[in-house]
Amino acid sequence: MKILVIEDEATLCETIVAYLEEEGYRCEKAGTVELGSEKVNLYEYDCMLVDIGLPDGSGLSLIKELKKRHPETGIIIISAKNSMDDKISGLDFGADDYLTKPFYLPELNSRIKSLLRRLKFEGKQELVIDKISIWPEHRQILINAEPLQLTRKEFDLLMFFVSNRGRVLTKESIAEHLWGDFADSADSFDFVYSHIKNLRRKLLERTGTDYFQNVYGTGYTFTA
Amino acid sequence: MKLQTKINIRFLTVTFLIFSVAGVLFYFALDKVINQNIREMLESRKAYIILNLQQNPPTTDLLESPDHSSFIKRTEKTEEYTIFSDTMAYDQEEKELIPFRKMTFSVHSGGQHYEVILLQSLLESEDLQMIIFSFMAALFGIVLLALFFLNRWLSNKAWNPFFKSLSVLKTWKIGENQTVSFDRTGISEFDQLNSTLENMIQKIQTDFVNLKEFTENASHEIQTPLAIIKSKLEMVLQDKTLNDQQYQRIRAAFESANRLSKLNEALLLLSKIENQQFVETSEIDVSQLIQSRLEYMEELFALKQIELNIHLEKQVTFTMNPLLADILINNLLSNALRHNIEKGKIIISSENQEITISNTGKQAEMDVSRLFRRFSKQATSSDSNGLGLAIVHEICNNYHLLLSYCYLNGMHCLSIRQKSQISTNL
Repeated sequence: MKILVIEDEATLCETIVAYLEEEGYRCEKAGTVELGSEKVNLYEYDCMLVDIGLPDGSGLSLIKELKKRHPETGIIIISAKNSMDDKISGLDFGADDYLTKPFYLPELNSRIKSLLRRLKFEGKQELVIDKISIWPEHRQILINAEPLQLTRKEFDLLMFFVSNRGRVLTKESIAEHLWGDFADSADSFDFVYSHIKNLRRKLLERTGTDYFQNVYGTGYTFTA
Repeated sequence: MKLQTKINIRFLTVTFLIFSVAGVLFYFALDKVINQNIREMLESRKAYIILNLQQNPPTTDLLESPDHSSFIKRTEKTEEYTIFSDTMAYDQEEKELIPFRKMTFSVHSGGQHYEVILLQSLLESEDLQMIIFSFMAALFGIVLLALFFLNRWLSNKAWNPFFKSLSVLKTWKIGENQTVSFDRTGISEFDQLNSTLENMIQKIQTDFVNLKEFTENASHEIQTPLAIIKSKLEMVLQDKTLNDQQYQRIRAAFESANRLSKLNEALLLLSKIENQQFVETSEIDVSQLIQSRLEYMEELFALKQIELNIHLEKQVTFTMNPLLADILINNLLSNALRHNIEKGKIIISSENQEITISNTGKQAEMDVSRLFRRFSKQATSSDSNGLGLAIVHEICNNYHLLLSYCYLNGMHCLSIRQKSQISTNL
């Protein structure tokens, strides 16, 4: 899978690329509209991450350009917070998702995976992780061909962990994935803990395996 | 007290004093002149009578003039004297007692001593005094009145440019991008004042804009490095070779970076609202917005076992930016949740274009003057950045919504309603 990252802040760009390359993606970088446009016209990508505010123009023009040449490419906007106009016009121009800076890398990773699943397999793909098989489109989980009942939040949580297998997910990033803007309202870490406890118990009962690991004071890792 | 009234009072007091002193002095002067006059008249009559006595000595003991104003009688007294005195006598013509000046003197003529009494009526001089006095009083009144009105008219005219400048200043609001200009008055003091004011306002406005821009730019510029710090720390946390202590340290750095980032976002938002960068507005159905937000937060309430009482049947609509409406409701609901107690209560109601959110809380009644201020956080929740309600307050200000707080039956109530058209300035 090839991903084009268009972000003018070099360090941030490198960090994103490093994280995604560890996930097995092949990434290319561009810091300006001009460079991005060149790459969009020369090569084909599965997904493009694009910042709206670039030094030589708006990332929106790149979205238009890409949609004209390769309409099947997934587009995720990464932009500064609270620019509603960017979000609306970006989605109007054909972007698939929108992430506001600063974001958590696992969140970006999970969004890319979910987008690619939708685009490549129209969601009709079975994800098999050890003894767990997941049908994302139907939000269904089968263990030994038997369905497992999960709440909506538990399913979201599992998908988030599965997308970021083997990674340490901080409590903050989990809370934000589950509750967005409300993540920092009240004792959301306690809620993260209780959700994970429930999910962990349900999976342990059915599979006999504990997939979750506590990472001291930081968060959790899902290993399979 | 108005400047004009003050000036008028002083002015009239001084005028009154001058007139009173002048009146008294005038009275005595007049009195003296009249007395002098009467005395001279009596003296001239005396000379005439003496002359008469010498030429035609009287034949009787008592001689009375036909108008009863002079009496001459023989006497045995030999000493010489002249006495003035006042007396009352019945006047035939006036048919009443009237005051007279009496002159009694002795005359020695033809070897005979006479005593002469001369009477001079004071009625005319008293009348004269009276007339002069009432005329003076009337004049005094008229002059006083004229001065009063003249003074008022003059000061009105003179202070007019001042009041114009004052009304211009009253309508001026810092932060609202309007140019303030004063008309030329042609009066150098006021022109000086106006040009000084113009310069000052210009300076204040540029300073204000600069400061706001600086805050926004600074917050904006801090965003990116913070994002980098956060993501780098996240990467380090992935390192499986780290020991617990290292984890803990990175964890602490990560947490602080997170907090800083949230704080910075809030500050950036505040300055953007202040700089009125959210131009686009639409009709927002707040009741519906709250409903949808509540669904999203349902679980957070449930985990804290908070009892929700929702009465949002009445529709409440505000005209505002959709994003800010979102933030407004988010902050209010988060606030009600964050500062709530276990098994607490939240009541949300809509009525008469007013939304009220009440919640139980750890604290007793709060100080309203500090509640909406930035960073006036209560020590108990460290996850609060103390900007939530400041943002709510700023958004409300921006759309002329009235945000009020009260403490009722152990619950903190925050209500928002449209400010009435009459009282738009706060």
